[in-house]
Amino acid sequence: MKQHSHAWRFLSTAFLLAVLGIAILVQIVRIQISPEVAGVIDRGNYVWKDFYPPRGEIYDRHGSLLAGNKTVYEIGLDLTAKPDMPTVMLALQMSGIDLNDVNYRISQAPVNAQYIILDDFVSADKADYLMTLQEKAHGDSTGKNLDAVYLKAHYARSYPENDLASNVLGFVTEDNHGYLGIEEKYDNILAGIPVRMAVPADPRRATEYPTIPPGQTIILTIDREIQASIENILDQALVSTGSSSGTIVVMDPRTGEILAMSSTPRLNLNDYQSITTVFPGETPFNRAISQAYEPGSVSKILTMAGALDSGVVQPDTVTFVPQSIVVGGSRIYNWDGAAWGYQDMTGCLANSLNVCLAWVSSENMHSDSFYSYMQRFGLGHATGIDLAQETSGRLKLPGDGDWYPVDLGTNAFGQGVSVTPIQMVMAASALANDGKMVYPHVLYAQIQDGKQSNTKTQIVGTPISANTAHTISEMLANGLETESSAALVPGYRIAGKTGTAQIPLPTGGYDQNNINASFIGWGPMDDPRFLVYVWLEKPQSNKAASVVAAPIFKQVIEKLVVLMDIPPDAVRLQMIGR
Amino acid sequence: MNNVTQIVQKVRQAPWRVQRQWIGLFLLALVLMAMVAGIYLNVTVGAALAGRETISLQAMITTNQRINADSETQLARLISVEAMQQRAEAMGFQPVNPDDITYMAVPGYVAPSAVDLSTPGSNPPAVPIILPEYTESWFDYFMNKQASSDSAGGLP
Repeated sequence: MKQHSHAWRFLSTAFLLAVLGIAILVQIVRIQISPEVAGVIDRGNYVWKDFYPPRGEIYDRHGSLLAGNKTVYEIGLDLTAKPDMPTVMLALQMSGIDLNDVNYRISQAPVNAQYIILDDFVSADKADYLMTLQEKAHGDSTGKNLDAVYLKAHYARSYPENDLASNVLGFVTEDNHGYLGIEEKYDNILAGIPVRMAVPADPRRATEYPTIPPGQTIILTIDREIQASIENILDQALVSTGSSSGTIVVMDPRTGEILAMSSTPRLNLNDYQSITTVFPGETPFNRAISQAYEPGSVSKILTMAGALDSGVVQPDTVTFVPQSIVVGGSRIYNWDGAAWGYQDMTGCLANSLNVCLAWVSSENMHSDSFYSYMQRFGLGHATGIDLAQETSGRLKLPGDGDWYPVDLGTNAFGQGVSVTPIQMVMAASALANDGKMVYPHVLYAQIQDGKQSNTKTQIVGTPISANTAHTISEMLANGLETESSAALVPGYRIAGKTGTAQIPLPTGGYDQNNINASFIGWGPMDDPRFLVYVWLEKPQSNKAASVVAAPIFKQVIEKLVVLMDIPPDAVRLQMIGR
Repeated sequence: MNNVTQIVQKVRQAPWRVQRQWIGLFLLALVLMAMVAGIYLNVTVGAALAGRETISLQAMITTNQRINADSETQLARLISVEAMQQRAEAMGFQPVNPDDITYMAVPGYVAPSAVDLSTPGSNPPAVPIILPEYTESWFDYFMNKQASSDSAGGLP
């Protein structure tokens, strides 16, 4: 009886322990298969996740931010949560979100959609207000809450300087693609590489999450202060001269670094959607690289440089300059239609005599030598500047179907040949830089893994000798001083040349009412640190570049010497002498 | 001898003693298994918590990066050319003309050059942040230890 009683106790204890053990086993299995736990610890499962690296920033050469990033929001709606649509729409309206866009997106959503994007690229202040409303309405017992609304933060491009250097920068659209300018040219390295990959849901494998490197930051050769100054000068010049458009390029002729580049019109890059309004029709985004035109007399510096370098003329070579000359059966006249008598080559340049330059090219250099030099200066070929949408202009060559013998004469003074401003700047760099022509570029450096690698100066070629470069620079400086040019800046010796060019008509012939006015120059003469190109299209105040373009050049130089800390020649040479 | 025989007989004659031994052994095994399971569970929970924290920290890093980008852009707006010009004009400054400038030689002065945005200490650390002991298997651990002790000993 006593043994029986003990057996009962043992059995009871064993039963309880067995039940407890089974309960533990059941709980273990339940944990393993429980969906909520599977969400936390999911050994085998992977989830797809998108990783968008922030786009690389763009700085000017002194570290001022030209293009950065800001936070914007995507607003989505979880339809499975059965949201109260009037409440949602009211909240969106109160947050300042455009309901027309929202309604359109809702109407375009598939019938069985579980999640729809109501709006995207919503500014942070609007999103903040919506989040505040969401917080207030959270847990509303009547179901009028915003719990089904999701806000997802992501980056968007932002340009703190608005339209400053817009022609150089380009812009980024909502799909994170760069268009035009630097943004397009360096889109690959700026954008980084967005990654969509399966990552383990198991948090213990968090170390397997990829580290997505951000887009590379880049530094431009652009100087923000110089850029702002030339844009201001250009805007005022368009008003004062009545020009239809304008372009100014400033380059360091020793390195090819573009210090400033501006053309009109300019676009507020934060409102890039207005591009079709600001740039109607086929208006080039950046005329400095995308609009080829007949440069006119500024091109004479290349002709004379080639002639001097080939030895067919010397600065003191004197020739009689009649009112016209016949080349290839066609008659070419001086700009004023007058005869200029005996002139040396400096006089030919200073007085911009078409007949003299046509004589140099046709009767001294001849076509082989002339076109060889023009090609060595890069005419007819794109410079390869690191900006999107550069055009190459056109240099007709003997043998081309549309080349005529008269072109040898007209090309010598910049008619019948088309170039972009940047081509002229690159070609002229040989004259300012001891005969060495430099590759123009806008990228100063790129930052990768915290290390900065600077762009090295590239010499594209040496079309003329150093001696020729010095000679032509002296001739041009003397020419400016002789004619008391409006381009002269007191205290600074500068080489330069005007260019007044006729504008060809699509129907043939030239526009009798409009001209292109240009000026190219560099300085200081003994150690050139800037090369400036000014181009005003169709000025109305006067039809001579010496009157409309030269003063603009002077204004640019006056700003440059201050911003670049270049003392007057006498002071500078005195300092060097010490 | 007789006593020993008696004790053996008593033991043999008490089957509950045998049962208790078996139960004891079984419980010992159970306790051992429970200990191993407990340790395993503890390590697993620890790893899961650390993983969660890692993910949370990564999210915080992303948020902070966005805040930094916002702040940098806002700062750039505040010191943009247009904003600075307005502030300068409001404070009574005006653009300088070349004629107004007096230049003087300052010994040792070096003109400012272009910016260098290299970040100091951008090289990867020489010592790995997570030691291999935390990631390698027991087998690898012992093999590496063995290999390192062998190489440390060297030849006379």
